[in-house]
Amino acid sequence: MANVKKILLGTLVVGLGLSVAVARVDDALSFAHEAADPYTKEGFTVREDAWGGDLGVKDQQAVTAQLFKGNTYWFWLGTDTPGAVITVHLYDSDGKLVESAYWQKGRFAAAKVTPAKTGTYYAIVTVEKSSRERSNWALVYGYR
Amino acid sequence: MPVLLLGPRLQTKLILAMLSRLIPVVLCGIALAQAPAQAPPQQIDLTKFPAAAVDDVVVPVPSEVFNVLDKLGSPNWSAELRDNLGQSSGDRAQVALLLGTVIAEGFIAVQAKNAERVKKIGQEVLTLADAINVRSAVIARSKSITEKADARDWAAVRSEFDGALQDVRGAMEQLGDDDLAQLVSLGGWIRGTEVLTSIVGKNYTPDGSQLLCQPELVNYFSRRVDEMRNTRLKKSRLVTKVRRLLKDIRPLIKRDTITVETVQKINTMTNEVVVTITTQES
Repeated sequence: MANVKKILLGTLVVGLGLSVAVARVDDALSFAHEAADPYTKEGFTVREDAWGGDLGVKDQQAVTAQLFKGNTYWFWLGTDTPGAVITVHLYDSDGKLVESAYWQKGRFAAAKVTPAKTGTYYAIVTVEKSSRERSNWALVYGYR
Repeated sequence: MPVLLLGPRLQTKLILAMLSRLIPVVLCGIALAQAPAQAPPQQIDLTKFPAAAVDDVVVPVPSEVFNVLDKLGSPNWSAELRDNLGQSSGDRAQVALLLGTVIAEGFIAVQAKNAERVKKIGQEVLTLADAINVRSAVIARSKSITEKADARDWAAVRSEFDGALQDVRGAMEQLGDDDLAQLVSLGGWIRGTEVLTSIVGKNYTPDGSQLLCQPELVNYFSRRVDEMRNTRLKKSRLVTKVRRLLKDIRPLIKRDTITVETVQKINTMTNEVVVTITTQES
């Protein structure tokens, strides 16, 4: 993908530059997991893998996912940029908004969907505001 | 050691001075944090997103499918378990596909609540991972699978199998074996689809058949096989067979509701490929 990549957890990185880059994405990932954490008490299983990258202000990124009717999903987004405002919204394969709930709190955001049918869905990540030219983001999702 | 000591009055002055600077920042932060989220558009044009972003699909973990199956009833999972997990031929493509099928078998053993089978599968995962140099990535998982199977903590065992699949894939990608990593996922998907169609076919409901509506996922797998960098791997008999399977399944799963006849047809198709994978034909 151009700006989105699967984040490998526990990656051993050799080289200072790459270490710093991964550390930043890891920070964004920590925030995504922080957003997800309360939902595990509600029975949501959070996937161990995650997706992330960096975006400029008002830039958007689509993450495509195969979701199944019968499950309920939450997508949680985090950024390491202080003061940044990010959002995630969920659309079906026709581009129709399908989320049943969403929230946004600064560097955290989340959206929920209970798919009406099994199929392909799109999580659209947007950096609404940021003091930095590009902001790292990380997305995780869970199901119940 | 020099220590900066401040008297109470100086401390108060400093705090007030700091507060006067901090308050606007904090208020600004609170305003930003509590700003009502802008309503998202009801409709978007997906063609405006970069093709690379939209074309890559997040491959679901098997637990997502089994989670739905749990809600659809209590099928006879024990009847779905294979007696023989299959033999490694030493061919890396075959081992990768076989590893995927064995991990998928782990999920079926969990559904069947068969602790001994789960433990045997956990050991087999370790053996196969060793054959493709990613043993260290799954040692802890294998141990945990055994412990949690002994404790009959089925949800945790399922989670460990999910994790084992991710760990194996991650380790392979780090080794630059992306093609093989894809084959592990594919092996799991093929065996998973075989058992899914078996279960749905035996107790058919339209809702159950909907679980097979995965056209974008099949397209994604097809693209990944077509784009394999390792030409020898790509042209191997086994991978060619997998590619043909994906091509043949694609038109069958495009509909929202899949007929019982189609479900059974997919079952036959996937079963043939699973047999090929597990009987060392490569």
